[in-house]
Amino acid sequence: MLKPSGAALPPRHDPDPVMVPVMDVTLDRRGLIAGVVFSLLLTLAVYLGSQRFHGFDGALAGYCFATVFALFGVVYRYAVWLQRPATRVYWKRGWELFWQPGQRLRNTLLFFKMGWEKMLEQRFIRKRSRDRWLAHQLIFWGCVIAILITFPLTFGWLRFESDFTHPSNYLVVLFGQRLEFFTFPARGVIGWLFMHGLNIAAVLCLAGISLAVGRRVKDEAEISTQRFDNDIMPLVLLFAVSVTGMMLTVSNMFLEGKFYYWITTTHAVTVMLWLLYLPFGKFFHIFQRIANVGVWFYKAAGANGPQAECARCGEAYTSAMQREDLKAILPDLGFDYRNNEQAVDNWQNLCPGCRRKLMTLNQFRVTGKEFM
Amino acid sequence: MSEMRFFVDPVRCIGCKACMQGCSECATHRGKSMIHLEYIERGTSTQTAPMVCMHCDLPTCAAVCPADAIKRTEDGIVQSSQAPRCIGCSNCVNACPFGVPRYYPEIDQMLKCDMCYDRTSLGKKPMCASVCPSEALFYGTLEEFQSRRQGTPSNTFQFGAQTITTKVFLVLPAGDVGLNMDVLSHMDARFEPDAFDHLDPFAHLEPLPMGEHL
Repeated sequence: MLKPSGAALPPRHDPDPVMVPVMDVTLDRRGLIAGVVFSLLLTLAVYLGSQRFHGFDGALAGYCFATVFALFGVVYRYAVWLQRPATRVYWKRGWELFWQPGQRLRNTLLFFKMGWEKMLEQRFIRKRSRDRWLAHQLIFWGCVIAILITFPLTFGWLRFESDFTHPSNYLVVLFGQRLEFFTFPARGVIGWLFMHGLNIAAVLCLAGISLAVGRRVKDEAEISTQRFDNDIMPLVLLFAVSVTGMMLTVSNMFLEGKFYYWITTTHAVTVMLWLLYLPFGKFFHIFQRIANVGVWFYKAAGANGPQAECARCGEAYTSAMQREDLKAILPDLGFDYRNNEQAVDNWQNLCPGCRRKLMTLNQFRVTGKEFM
Repeated sequence: MSEMRFFVDPVRCIGCKACMQGCSECATHRGKSMIHLEYIERGTSTQTAPMVCMHCDLPTCAAVCPADAIKRTEDGIVQSSQAPRCIGCSNCVNACPFGVPRYYPEIDQMLKCDMCYDRTSLGKKPMCASVCPSEALFYGTLEEFQSRRQGTPSNTFQFGAQTITTKVFLVLPAGDVGLNMDVLSHMDARFEPDAFDHLDPFAHLEPLPMGEHL
């Protein structure tokens, strides 16, 4: 059984930022180091995985550079995000609880179970709205298929070659190894699926985008709260990537390759814009969402330990661990809810219900009126 | 015309729950009521307390959110959590000094009053204020308020050492500029020997729909 942690977290230590020469900006030191390290590791993986660039396709170099830069951006923002006081608490506590001795195997299994429910099946979105869930699933799986195909291709890890013994057959070359045991007719079903994998992904994305746009055009709530940069731009980018990608096939199959060069350039530009938008825009929620699993561990552990009781009504309303963690980060955020009264020495020791009642009770107190 | 403001005056609340019903019909709330209606001392009084989001100038809920999911828009409205970002930790629920955000486990998300943003962003009244018969919840200009009401609208609250200023105003007696949130004078009546505050006189009433079908 998961047990809550009662130990205080180590104090924060913020390293000095890094000045960028010439430009009047600073970069977060931890983010910079983490971003550079991950980008170098990916570059090394590209170098080794493509057999020292032997299998690297120069025509796809632009995609590869953009992916390395996107990884830097994502890791940089993730590292900066983890330094927010509340995020830091969940990050540290999440790992602390996950690595509890005697619980690691069970926790790992639970991680995959929750990962399936929350990351892949996205059950919580289905509970919010089936239409929203369907749109999200279509876009999600479209992107996942596209990424699984294009990243290994652009990194030079994966390519297809003719089978020498059966020239009409193709086989997969993975990390320089010809997978002789897996050959397939180029014009068969498997061949069609491989060659049109990205078209299938594009169709899924376009179906999801249509549903999402329909909701954003009709739903009054979405209309009032959506912003172009955060909510419309991702759909525009995905639409542009999907359509230009499918136009390549159209040019190839039906237009005898007309406009192919122009279409490849346009497609490359749209994909690079999508990759560069990844760390800054709405798509960053893909990486933030993983914290949802950490929160599940935190809540499960908290429920198994002592509960925080309200200083006014005595009702338990949250875990003692969460209340203490919350009180510890509030000063870092510039809030001081401490009280001089001994019975209730901190406003944060009250349950939400009592906080709500107390506004009315205090209004009655100062007005001198009596209850109905 | 001067700026539209939201005034809450719980002393006037008659507990009719019209605000809750109206609130659940707002497009951004998707069938759920974002208003909390609390019974103050059930055993001895029918007094109720309506609670909407006060829309703090420096919202504690947004500061403690690990996912950066709560945003305050330029017009001073603290929005409900962003669906893609909220990771359902309930930090905001526990930190809000007014006890406003609510966590919905079935959708793993926090939702809160956004002053009916689909309406107020177009100049319309929030649902709750448009249906409140006693004007405990009132939306209008300061001039409108002053032309029909007494009291001083105040948006400064003292919680221990913490001062919080808000977009929403609470009606105080004339001359009062802020409210010191005292706890000790209001310890729960259930601890008193002759209290029977745990009884809910409204328990026999059918609960309002809370969006099970949505």
